[in-house]
Amino acid sequence: MSSEQSISRANLTYIENSLNSLENGVNYVSNQVDTVNSEVVDIRNNLNHLIQEFQDYVKKDLLEKSLQLAETRIVKVRQELETSYGHYGEVRRRVTGILQAVDVGLVKKETIENSTEEHMLAAPRYWLAPCLISLSAWLNDNKELADKAMLEALRRDSEKTSLFFALVTRRGARYKASSDWLDKYFGLQNPESLEREIVVLIDGFTNGIFGPNARMNCGRQIESWISELSQKAGFIEEQNAQWKVALESKLEELNDQSYPYLKAHSQTWPRLESSLEGAKIHRTITDYFTEILGREITPAKSIAYAVDGLLDTLVSKFDDEELPLRNDERLLSLIIQQNGDNATAQKMFKNENTLKERVSFTQLLTNFAMHPEVSNASIATQKFSIAWSKEWIKHAHDDLTAENRATIPIDIDLEIDQWTGQTQDGSNEEELVSSLENNMEQRKQFAISQVKLKMAHWAALAGGILFAIGGFSTPFLFLFAAACGWYFYSGKQGIQKRKDQVAEDFRVLSEKSKQKLLAALAETVDWRKEYAHEDANASLVTELLDSINPEQYSFSSHDTARAVVN
Amino acid sequence: MRRPLINTNTSQKINVSISPSKVSSNKVELTGLALDKRLRQKRSKEYINGITKLDAGGVICSHSDIEELKQTIQNEFPDLSPSQYLIGIISKCYLGKPYVVHTLDLNLDIVKHYEKGESLPASMDRGKGLALHPRYEFIEVYNDSLRAVSENGDVAVIKG
Repeated sequence: MSSEQSISRANLTYIENSLNSLENGVNYVSNQVDTVNSEVVDIRNNLNHLIQEFQDYVKKDLLEKSLQLAETRIVKVRQELETSYGHYGEVRRRVTGILQAVDVGLVKKETIENSTEEHMLAAPRYWLAPCLISLSAWLNDNKELADKAMLEALRRDSEKTSLFFALVTRRGARYKASSDWLDKYFGLQNPESLEREIVVLIDGFTNGIFGPNARMNCGRQIESWISELSQKAGFIEEQNAQWKVALESKLEELNDQSYPYLKAHSQTWPRLESSLEGAKIHRTITDYFTEILGREITPAKSIAYAVDGLLDTLVSKFDDEELPLRNDERLLSLIIQQNGDNATAQKMFKNENTLKERVSFTQLLTNFAMHPEVSNASIATQKFSIAWSKEWIKHAHDDLTAENRATIPIDIDLEIDQWTGQTQDGSNEEELVSSLENNMEQRKQFAISQVKLKMAHWAALAGGILFAIGGFSTPFLFLFAAACGWYFYSGKQGIQKRKDQVAEDFRVLSEKSKQKLLAALAETVDWRKEYAHEDANASLVTELLDSINPEQYSFSSHDTARAVVN
Repeated sequence: MRRPLINTNTSQKINVSISPSKVSSNKVELTGLALDKRLRQKRSKEYINGITKLDAGGVICSHSDIEELKQTIQNEFPDLSPSQYLIGIISKCYLGKPYVVHTLDLNLDIVKHYEKGESLPASMDRGKGLALHPRYEFIEVYNDSLRAVSENGDVAVIKG
């Protein structure tokens, strides 16, 4: 018996120790699992963050490479322009050089004649070289040579030559000759397919460079072109489409920091973003047109300066031979302007239509108004173009505005940590907060319900009962029964702790989600207010355009003669 | 002076349909871009007034009211053939809560008022957001476009 007791004491200690170490082991594993779980969540978050950073890095790297490439290429293109057409530069500089030298009488006529002949040899096929010969022959009173050279120039490029002589004769105050040259130039034009250099003529018209007769002819011609084009079926639609593209080129992206909660928690955000960007365009367009229309035009010191400016533009910007390289240069400069964003630059380039060989008169007006730097239009011409296009701009703007208004999201979807809801203007805050809390409560209850005793615990309970029953016949089994009971009890205690932990986690999550929801709703209210404010600016564009009168933008700053109205 | 399309004095009976047979057959039918140009023209004051009083008679719109509206539309577009007419009109409803918009369906000859959150028929639903905008008096719904008409008669076009 004594040996039995000592055995039973020894067994009890062993079992107690084993159970204790088992419990410690279970708790340890449980803690480890919790730790691993939270680490997995952290790692997932970090990984997502890393993926985002990597994607940003790749995007940035691509943009930088594209930018570097564009910067290198643009230098090459400019070098090529210089190498291939650099000798034209010399001829071009001579034009105004000769005219100004003759003005002040500092250069001998023979020198002028000799130098122009050299250029004729150096620049074959170039229309300007015979023009220079003709000009110097004219200055030397050599009519025969002047006529011959002029005919050669007309053969090489009749449009540019006509315009060139219209300007040169105007510079020399030969009104009749200038008017005749302009008539010849107009006779060569088709309003549906004009060359880009016509900007020089429009600049001359809007800056009051031509004489009264030529100015009136010019005005009449422009009106007849517009009326001819207007009668064409589909003209209005074509104009609208043209102007819509031009106006859309002024769209600006929203600041990255705008509405961070809506951006993070609303699937509707892309639509909200594009609607707001579309509404902001009203202010941009108003500012753009107001700035142009309000800019003061400083007249050139004299007619000679004004014509020289136009001659420089005519001879240096519009040679078709150079057009492919000029196109490359423009595209590359757009890529640089967009910090390497190739796709956007390509789209902008395609929409510009500024470097096409031939375009319609109304497309030219659009280009002058919206892309003056590429189309080489002066301020006066920009004002004139806006004034003449005002009805088309208005229609295009009305359509753009209506399209934007039609796409404003009425319902804004929200999604915060598996909860989804919908608001229109943030006024259903209470309802959404309560929905979020209910959702969290349901998820909490579900998570708590998943925290259950394991099979081992139930087995221990069953074993404890069986051992207790057996203990009446074999008393030491009570010890097993006690051990099993203790195991079951400690499991039960652990469950409660885990349930408390789950409840605490959900309390924190619910609080954070509620803060996010309130922030997103506050941003919804701000978004609606900002949209309404920006959208109301649409009327500014209409009012500005309505206030423009085309007549006030045709200037006459260089001659005092009044135009006779026929 | 233009010849009226429908001679309403010839019969006591009100004919509710816009029958092709009543349309002058000797005019050239506008199509494509020419039709677009015509439909962009400023709407007349009479037309806008006629359409905006759609809900003046209350929730129930009588048969004669609808007839009057259809006549107003015909008067506005005398040079169009019935197949080119709008298929309906959506505008803000001033009857007060719970109604927000109402529609005139020219195929079914009915005026219906819609409550907040209620869906419009598929062909009309795309114009609902625009109709609620304060800048527009009403929206004309066509098969291929929406035309938003402002108080001064200006027309903005949304294709598709």
